[in-house]
Amino acid sequence: MALAEDQRIENPLLEGLQLSRRPEPCAMVIFGASGDLTKRKLFPALYSLAYRQLLPEKFGIVGVARTEESDDEFRERMKAAVQEFGRDDFRDDVWEWLADGMHYVAGTAEDGDDVFVHIDETLTDFDRDRGTSGNRVHYLAVPPPAFETIVKGIGKHRSKQGWTRLIVEKPFGHDLQSAQELNTLLHKHFDENEIFRIDHYLGKETVQNMLALRFANGIFEPIWNRQFVDHIQITVAETIGIEGRADYYEHAGAIRDIFQNHLLQLIALTAMEPPIDFAADSVRNEKVKVLKSMHTPGPKHVVRGQYGLGYIEGQEVPGYREEQGVDPSSMTETFIAAKLFIDNWRWADTPIYIRAGKRLARRETTIAIQFKGAPHPPFEEAAAEGLRPNVLLIHIQPDEGVSLAIGAKVPGQGLQIRTVHMDFLYGGAFRTDLPEAYERLLIDCMRGDASLFTREDEVIEQWQLVDAIVAFWRRDRPSFPNYAAGTWGPPSSDELLRRDGRSWRRH
Amino acid sequence: MATALDTVSAIERKLAALRLADEGSRLRTNVMTHIAWVPEEWVEAAEDVLAGLAERHPSRTIVLFPQSAGAGLEGKVESESFPMSEGLTICTDTIRIRLHGTSAEHPASVVEPLLVPDLPVFLRWRGVPPFGESAFDELIGVADRLIVDSTEWPGLPKPYARMAEIFDRLAVSDIAWARTSRWRPMLASLWPAIAKVERIKVTGTEAQAQLLAGWLRSRLDRSIGLEHEPSNKLVGVELDGEPAPFPPGDPPIPADLLSDELDKLSRDPVYEAAVIAAV
Repeated sequence: MALAEDQRIENPLLEGLQLSRRPEPCAMVIFGASGDLTKRKLFPALYSLAYRQLLPEKFGIVGVARTEESDDEFRERMKAAVQEFGRDDFRDDVWEWLADGMHYVAGTAEDGDDVFVHIDETLTDFDRDRGTSGNRVHYLAVPPPAFETIVKGIGKHRSKQGWTRLIVEKPFGHDLQSAQELNTLLHKHFDENEIFRIDHYLGKETVQNMLALRFANGIFEPIWNRQFVDHIQITVAETIGIEGRADYYEHAGAIRDIFQNHLLQLIALTAMEPPIDFAADSVRNEKVKVLKSMHTPGPKHVVRGQYGLGYIEGQEVPGYREEQGVDPSSMTETFIAAKLFIDNWRWADTPIYIRAGKRLARRETTIAIQFKGAPHPPFEEAAAEGLRPNVLLIHIQPDEGVSLAIGAKVPGQGLQIRTVHMDFLYGGAFRTDLPEAYERLLIDCMRGDASLFTREDEVIEQWQLVDAIVAFWRRDRPSFPNYAAGTWGPPSSDELLRRDGRSWRRH
Repeated sequence: MATALDTVSAIERKLAALRLADEGSRLRTNVMTHIAWVPEEWVEAAEDVLAGLAERHPSRTIVLFPQSAGAGLEGKVESESFPMSEGLTICTDTIRIRLHGTSAEHPASVVEPLLVPDLPVFLRWRGVPPFGESAFDELIGVADRLIVDSTEWPGLPKPYARMAEIFDRLAVSDIAWARTSRWRPMLASLWPAIAKVERIKVTGTEAQAQLLAGWLRSRLDRSIGLEHEPSNKLVGVELDGEPAPFPPGDPPIPADLLSDELDKLSRDPVYEAAVIAAV
């Protein structure tokens, strides 16, 4: 009983009704159906959407992978994945609804066009039997080398009716040239508005809350600039190592794994101008302006590190070079810190310090806006020694929320000032589970809303910055490893701020 | 541990003491103040619905029990904790106050000092509100939204006329209206055939019948006859003698209905028009 928005115009009974926001009928093809992403993220997300009746009423899924298996084996494997990784109770009726529309196609690049003919036949059956109307979402949950064959195959067999959308998982290239080549390949077969480059960070509720915090609260925007902000610190810290992904990580390193996408997206959301509305291109236009304004940092403003043996939660963990599959003399960085500048009217001369890495002291993603001190605190120096600058701290994960550090009087004689925190914890105010990022992003793609996906020009700007940093990295050879697992990175990271009379914020 | 308190100041001191007693891992976050006006005959039903509500909507809840005899007030303050992830607990306050004599006639002076500043105030009124009386007038003066359940009202549709008079003073939610929410999209899906309907028969509560008829009249902007067959829940609708399809899904439980209304902040012009057309 989905009622389309455009019916409202002529049907007065629709006024005031909360209309179903279920997307139009469609079929979803997942390339890489035997992979970890499909098992851990995509199917649990699809199940949660089905659980909440958010998927299209007419829907079907085709899983495509190399492994030979039957439809039933595919269903059983995905059922086990949903039971293991899903966030909702497992309900047989929900699963059966989803499983009823699941099919599996085994195939590889060596099968040539046959596999795409088989997929096309399955999708045509869906259109006839399940009413999916020729609408398609193709999800590339495969490594980049497989992109070309698949994109060409989809392009050749794309539906003559309905819409076709393509979701591409990162990495979007490994440098500027490869990113441009990937874009050229995609654009041979798809228009830009049909391409959905997914960075799951943008699907996180707390990342989106950044937009609410900035643009729904009149108190922040007037002080969100170089006049009032001393500097910004963004931390994306993980305690885990490379978790068996040596092949990928040896080529990517921290700069391609985190900096190029997640970190630059967080900077763009933090620093962007208010968009005129929340339409996809309005938001992305403002983000691109930030990326275009970013000053390429000099060699002294970028620090890289690699973890050695150390301790995480009291347990000894190996150094990066001792990880399985890693070159024992690897020069891949597992940590990056940088001092960045945005050359525009709002942020000129305001440093943005970023750091990201693996095997750090704790898992956290935070954005800290540190404000300038009071111009003339009328207290004795000793009275205010416990006072630190005001910091607005946005916790992306874990403990999603916002806190503000303010100075307060210590009770008692005299006037002693201490810093205290006012905390807003997301889960404390809104007693509902936060949806997984993939749930939001999958449903947005089905609705054709690209706001939370990365546009071509964003990717290009990101790689231009990364390529400039990597170019000067090629000219020196740091002594790796240079930080112990379980610490906050190499000493040079602290030095980066100490030179400016600042320090990384306390944890 | 709840203790009897006989002044608003004592209640405020107790609230402050509870807050100071919080350990570091207990988090106090409020999104609203929830006032419930519960005459004696509604006490049991009200407590059932309130159970679990604070967990879903972290709030300060003030439950007012008007009494016909005596003087002054008797308050009890309780703090409830609900586990959150990451080892934290969320903590909310429930204040129960028996109002006697003048405090039952002028409850705003009791309630106002206890409101959480700057947050919306929801007033849940059990039974028919005494439109025009001081207690009701005062409390809708401090509330942003009134929540009633006209299923609890005898003599419908007459009381709707009195309620329509307060629409300009605050936003109103009616749980009886919320109970028709599964049926309205289904009836809307019958467009355009439903545009010509002359008569609606509703098997459900009186309130549901009146509100569905009022909704059709106001949306289609013409008179439509109503036939009501009593039932304690909405089980069927006929349009000009033809049964309408049954909507999918299960009817929501009372706590969910109230919980949903506590998420709404603005006026509902479609509901207001339905109430006016029901009279």
